Amino acid sequence: MSASLSLTYKKVDKIFNKEGKDPVRALKEVSFTIEPGELFCLLGPSGCGKTTLLRCTAGLESISGGSIFYGEKNVTSIPPFRRNIGMVFQSFALYPHMNVYENVAYGLRVRKTPEAAVRKKVTEIMDLVGLPDVLKRNPSPTALSGGQQQRVAVARALVYDPEILLLDEPLANLDAKLRRHMRAEIRRIQKITKITTIFVTHDQEEAMAIGDRLAVLRDGIVEQIGTSNELYKNPNSAFVANFIGKMNFFYGSITAVQNKQIAVDIDSRVYTFPEETLAQRFTEQLAVGMKVLVGARPEHLYISKEKMENSIQGTVNIIQHLGQVIRYEVQCHMDVADKQMEIDMDDMVEGIGEGDEVYITLDEKSASVFSVEGER
Amino acid sequence: MKKSKQITYTEHKSLIRRYLQKDFTPYIVFFLPLTFLVIFLFWPMVTTLMRAFMGTGFKFSLETLGLSNFERFVTSSLYRRSLRNSFVIGLATVIFSLLVGVPMGYFVARVKIPFKSLLLSLGILPIIMPSFIGAFSWIILLGRQGVVRHFLNIIFSPLGITIPSIYGLFGIIFTMTLTYYPFVFLLSYGAFTSVNPLLEEAAMIMGSSRKRIIRTVTLPLVIPSMSAAALLVFIRSIGNFGIPAIIGGDQYVLPTLIYFRVTGFWDLNGAAAIATVNVIITGVALVLQKYVVSRREYETISASRSEYKLHDHWLVKLIAILYCLLILIVSLLPQFTIIVMSFFTQWHGLYPTGFTLENYLRIPRVSSSEIRNSLFLATTASLLTAVLGCIIAYITERRKPKGAVILDMAVMAPFILPGTVVSVALLAAFSGGPVIALGGTYTIIIISYMIRRTPYVFRSVVASLSQLSPTLEESSMISGANWIYTFRRVSLPLILPGILAGTILTFATLLQELSTTILLYGVRTRTVPIQIYGAVVDGKLGEASAMSVMLLVTVFIVVYAMNKFLGRSISSSFKLG
Ligand SMILES: Nc1ncnc2c1ncn2[C@@H]1O[C@H](COP(=O)(O)OP(=O)(O)O)[C@@H](O)[C@H]1O
Ligand SMILES: [Mg+2]
Repeated sequence: MSASLSLTYKKVDKIFNKEGKDPVRALKEVSFTIEPGELFCLLGPSGCGKTTLLRCTAGLESISGGSIFYGEKNVTSIPPFRRNIGMVFQSFALYPHMNVYENVAYGLRVRKTPEAAVRKKVTEIMDLVGLPDVLKRNPSPTALSGGQQQRVAVARALVYDPEILLLDEPLANLDAKLRRHMRAEIRRIQKITKITTIFVTHDQEEAMAIGDRLAVLRDGIVEQIGTSNELYKNPNSAFVANFIGKMNFFYGSITAVQNKQIAVDIDSRVYTFPEETLAQRFTEQLAVGMKVLVGARPEHLYISKEKMENSIQGTVNIIQHLGQVIRYEVQCHMDVADKQMEIDMDDMVEGIGEGDEVYITLDEKSASVFSVEGER
Repeated sequence: MKKSKQITYTEHKSLIRRYLQKDFTPYIVFFLPLTFLVIFLFWPMVTTLMRAFMGTGFKFSLETLGLSNFERFVTSSLYRRSLRNSFVIGLATVIFSLLVGVPMGYFVARVKIPFKSLLLSLGILPIIMPSFIGAFSWIILLGRQGVVRHFLNIIFSPLGITIPSIYGLFGIIFTMTLTYYPFVFLLSYGAFTSVNPLLEEAAMIMGSSRKRIIRTVTLPLVIPSMSAAALLVFIRSIGNFGIPAIIGGDQYVLPTLIYFRVTGFWDLNGAAAIATVNVIITGVALVLQKYVVSRREYETISASRSEYKLHDHWLVKLIAILYCLLILIVSLLPQFTIIVMSFFTQWHGLYPTGFTLENYLRIPRVSSSEIRNSLFLATTASLLTAVLGCIIAYITERRKPKGAVILDMAVMAPFILPGTVVSVALLAAFSGGPVIALGGTYTIIIISYMIRRTPYVFRSVVASLSQLSPTLEESSMISGANWIYTFRRVSLPLILPGILAGTILTFATLLQELSTTILLYGVRTRTVPIQIYGAVVDGKLGEASAMSVMLLVTVFIVVYAMNKFLGRSISSSFKLG
């Protein structure tokens, strides 16, 4: 088994239809490094450039600027078939004219591996992906279930010990239950093989569950990179905050910056926040009068029937029982927040029904301040 | 200073490395078909164009440059009449084909009648069968002493009416209509089955009568298909050589005029001028059709579809069945006639006379070299065409290099070039010339076949490639296979049905090729259709019939076997669920 490689992007740019009528800039100066043996997740909404970045990594698309390194090696202009990588496509792309054995053996046959070694490797890898019995019948891949096809596709990508493994939304074609099972399987297999792996998904739950670290991509720009915990606890932008879990936002403006603290006014109520954590979230200097967003997770907001100190007024639209929590959807005045607040309470609040006036309390310690630039 | 020098050096090295790592095989493979097309298509076409403006002689010189070859279209009544005939025949055949084919397409698509699949497969027979065989069997039926004419004249003579004989314009149009209406039938059948019935139902709900719906909703939606069919019929009929050559009598058309110019006078420059005019006409027709269709292309907006309600009224059904039967019988009558004729020496009057097997028994004696030639030429040309068509299809569809559009257009160009034009172009470029003298060789015939048939394989392969998901090929590349390996192990096996279908169809049509071969064959390279044509010209209809039956049976078996063996594997799509 080859030693794991790091994977480095340096200012990678991708422009489709560069000379054409309407060029699309799908990747904008993407720069980051994936550590050797890491299971790295690429997360972002549909159309943000995840597939493009993966295809550029594989060499299926040429990049318009920058360079890509496998370890120390610049692979930017190396065609895909000389890169020694494995890839699992969303559609699995199994060859319908070959049986399962031949599908898995394909990469070994390309490498002119002796037949005995092929047999050994295919058997091993099918054991690893949990399909030892399928080889006995050795059917056409069309005869397999979705989960089995998925495992065969993974086996086919791994069998020749690639240096990098790329997975493009590999679970999107499976049903929800199988998806949860397979993501654990993929993590198990990756941890055994220790191949540097990129896993692409648009599902934040999946990304947080599977990835050692993740990158959030938005409109071709890497918004933030970190572990699930870092991204959840300390998002850099309102976009990341709302993509990794849910966050509610209030409009505010800065009224004072002093003593390493800032004061933010929301609807004539003033809240104070520590200034030091904010540097990375703002490109410009914090100043009095600046518009900002104040965000809070659903579990960090509280509602009450009576007006409390520093509470914000709103109207309950919908009350939903979500099992462990009760979710209140509350509409505030449009100047305070344009989207509905989602507020999770542990219990039903006595005397509050749909359509009632309520007061929202914001806990300064668990709330965060964001720039309005990178808005949801 | 030193540092910057070093940087440029390393940059230089990495540039070279990049260059060497680039995959050049696609460009090499791209180059091969392009070279072939340049030498055997572009160059001959250019030569033809030049020759058309040269008065006499083989050598190109400025003094002989002029319009003298085109002046004949003004001065000679034969030329004027040929040009007019070509137009009249082209237009009339289009109109009659539409009149015959559209109702038949509508009936089979929308009326509840039995044996639909049989109707559809019998319906295409006339286009698979050699058209000149149809022509001479109509001589047997409607010629001067034709059996049907004889019969009808007996009936009508008390009324003082006599049926005209098949020779001349009427016969050409009649035979061409029966040969080419299947294009209209099949395309309009396709259109009538694919028009979204919801649109028609919507019109019905809004209170339209059935007639009104056909006029205002259905027809406009099927017009693109029909104009495509009309164009196809026009191009085919204006380029057809066999039918006017056999039953034209003293009426010439452009292709026969070309033949006359070449074989009568060996005047390639004159022939080149006629060929140029012929191509201009088809070109104009093509542009016109594009214009008409582009203004009438409708997007289907609705996403949902509903099933058709087929017409179920007994009277409609009866009319539909009778109509389809009548057309089928009339268009298949020639095939039936030559089978009968092949067992007799003569068929003057009502019954054939002189029953004999000699027509068949003599075939091994007199046709063995022709049969060998036909098989050899058709097989070789089909295989080469398959390779060429595949490569070009793969390049244009998958690699999409700059210039793929040119390749695509170049391949499709012969689609609108009549067979005689292709021959004239090849003769103009390669006969007696100092560079490559190919006149009278197998090679020139094979090349002409390849040029003419590559579009068929190309289309067929492009169609199956577009069904094949590119991720299969990408996945193979990722596994470490270069694109040749990928093509061999992944793409080729999956598009093989498309390739085979295109190749076999090519083989079947090449076995019966007449219009190109007639100008290119030499003593050694005669083919079966040439021999049949010769027998017809000599009036030996019995012998011609026997050879035609042999040809028909062969073609039929080939096409039938293809449908039988490929039918399932074509239809069973390769997509994973
Ligand atoms: N071949 C292409 N030509 C032009 N634009 C493309 C092409 N492929 C992707 N794009 C554009 O690039 C952007 C990113 O696409 P993609 O990487 O597929 O997004 P994702 O996988 O994150 O959903 C989209 O705006 C898409 O329209
Ligand atoms: Mg994608």
